[in-house]
Amino acid sequence: MIASSALCGSIMFQSEGKPLWSLVMVLEARPVQSELLKELRFPIVPENILRKRNSLKRELLAQPNLIPTRIAILGGSTTTEVKSMLELFLLAQGIQPTFYESGYNCYYEDVLFENQALWKFKPEVVLIHTTWRNISEFPESMEDEAEVEQRVRREVERYQSLWEKIHADLGALIIQNNFDFPSLRPLGNAEAFESSGRVNFVMRMNGEFSAYARNHTRFLINDVHYLSAQVGLRAWNSPTYWYNFHMAVSPTATVALAQNVAAIVKAVYGRSKKCLVLDLDNTLWGGVVGDDGVQNLILGRDHPVGEAFQDFQLYVKNLQRRGVILAVCSKNDIDVAREGFSHPDSVLKLDDFSAFKANWSPKPANIREIAAALNIGLDSMVFVDDNPAERALVADQLPDVATPEVGSDVTRFAEILEAEHYFEVQKVVRDDLSRSSYYSLNAQRITYQANFSDYGEFLASLEMTAEIAPFCSLYLERITQLINKTNQFNLTTRRYTSAEVEAVAQDPMSITLYGRLADRFGDNGLVTVLIGRAINEALEMDLWLMSCRVLNREMELAMFDALVEQCQARGIRKIVGVYIPSKKNSMVADHYRRLGFTAGEESSESRQVWHYDVFQAKPVSTPYISRGTPSQSVAL
Amino acid sequence: MPENQKTMTREEFLLEMDEILGLRAGTLRGDEKLDELQNWDSIALIGMIVLAETASDASISPDRIVGCSTVSDLVRLAGLDGSSL
Repeated sequence: MIASSALCGSIMFQSEGKPLWSLVMVLEARPVQSELLKELRFPIVPENILRKRNSLKRELLAQPNLIPTRIAILGGSTTTEVKSMLELFLLAQGIQPTFYESGYNCYYEDVLFENQALWKFKPEVVLIHTTWRNISEFPESMEDEAEVEQRVRREVERYQSLWEKIHADLGALIIQNNFDFPSLRPLGNAEAFESSGRVNFVMRMNGEFSAYARNHTRFLINDVHYLSAQVGLRAWNSPTYWYNFHMAVSPTATVALAQNVAAIVKAVYGRSKKCLVLDLDNTLWGGVVGDDGVQNLILGRDHPVGEAFQDFQLYVKNLQRRGVILAVCSKNDIDVAREGFSHPDSVLKLDDFSAFKANWSPKPANIREIAAALNIGLDSMVFVDDNPAERALVADQLPDVATPEVGSDVTRFAEILEAEHYFEVQKVVRDDLSRSSYYSLNAQRITYQANFSDYGEFLASLEMTAEIAPFCSLYLERITQLINKTNQFNLTTRRYTSAEVEAVAQDPMSITLYGRLADRFGDNGLVTVLIGRAINEALEMDLWLMSCRVLNREMELAMFDALVEQCQARGIRKIVGVYIPSKKNSMVADHYRRLGFTAGEESSESRQVWHYDVFQAKPVSTPYISRGTPSQSVAL
Repeated sequence: MPENQKTMTREEFLLEMDEILGLRAGTLRGDEKLDELQNWDSIALIGMIVLAETASDASISPDRIVGCSTVSDLVRLAGLDGSSL
């Protein structure tokens, strides 16, 4: 549950007849922990939420600075409960939805026949709430494979026509339900493999939907196939609620569905967590390494509990592989703590961790130091510890850190982490896969720097090269991710959906640049973006941000060089820099002054304006970064 | 019945109905007609089904809820006839 404690607002733009974009500012968030709102945390009792929804909504709406967003729910069945529950779980994420709801089972007609109310609503997100009951091409009994394949194609094309129209005319992000299984199996187990089996048909349709999601942007799957299995088909598909209310998903299962959709939207807005901080003893292995010694730790397939610890380590390793940063926070002597990872059955190794704190200091202090070393916010962290006293202390002293009540049963740790959707991603972005190594390489750079007394010599020795170019489709996901996650080196803290990034990249009145930075230690990846909008002969900076990974490398000077070149080539005479102060971006208050801008008279406390004469001012560039050729990419 | 659900009294049931209907706690007394209540809509109906099932620890079909005319009918349907179960 999130409450923002700083300025938040919504700005609407219209540019020459193109769809309205909404730009959203998100500033600091602090969690709300009332007893009532804990109903929305694990373990969720759906009946309690269905009964207490009015009080929950009142309390959630009282949070300041909610992010407004427009969501259209296009239903293939009754969607009243979906809307009601989705509103609660979005509010719990600090997102305040306004809804458009299609008429009953009008998901197809509303789009294909351009329902004026939907078109006027201009949704930012479209949830297509369809289920197996909306499949119109289920095979007849004993149809052959060729006929069934044609049915699959027709059904897929029907949905594709919806998606393409939504993208072309509304530009919205689509969240499409895949399909749950029907409740009944007339062919019995043969449903799973016979061409005419409905179970088989659902699996094929889901495969087609997944392929579309892999190959298209602004299209995500709400995995009801998985959710219905998790809830159980009998609880998911209730005949009572279908025949009485035409609800395809029972009310209690709708709670799980809504929480899942809210997690997807949360990820789109960059609110997922980045770092998992782990205790060691009885969290990653059974036993106390300092007392029992490595050889007596309970870890590995020879022991049921040991197998469970090993599986939890494997789960954590998989998180790390797809970009979650791992850190250790343990009450141990550091050498003893490290030794635990030498156990032959330890899946996790020391170099999987980007930070390692093992000492006898209080854990809240250690977690603060981990956040500072990694340059991430406390609200990006999740802390897992089997010890309830340690969890309570961290929860009390660091309320921004998510501290789930994992209990002490290792067989449930992963399930509880997943239940809270902490690390939900839109898509796995290539840069995510290397995130841990970025932090580890940075630690090497910091150690290397200690060899130099002159900082300029250090920068020169890094042999840095930058790739700076206009936005391209290859990096769309990473650019969107960076825009929505970066808080400190961020001049305006404006957020963009991926649809908006794509639109601005194609706008001839805008200048967009991304920057990648590599050095002798390795590739930092895509670390900075800027967006400027041309108004007459001036370019107003809408967005300029940079990952803290590359602070003090003068990458912002290299980006500014490239920006000035672009302006000169287009005859833009002035750059207008905008700085909007937030609680987290004070480090860039001086950014434009250092680049040689002069303060504008139109500045106010909440919005500072700076001016730069492109053709008159003396350029400020960096001798330490050479510009490389952009990789093969497709312009947006 | 969810593990954390204790036996419900008639008074507690009425308070929960107040919550489901978005009324101030203590508004309902039992003699109200359902179709005259503000916010008696499909969302409230779903909430009532869940509440009645929780209170009675039994499945209750929607048409039995729809068949009730007054708040007291609902209380009886939930098995709370003026005393704790």
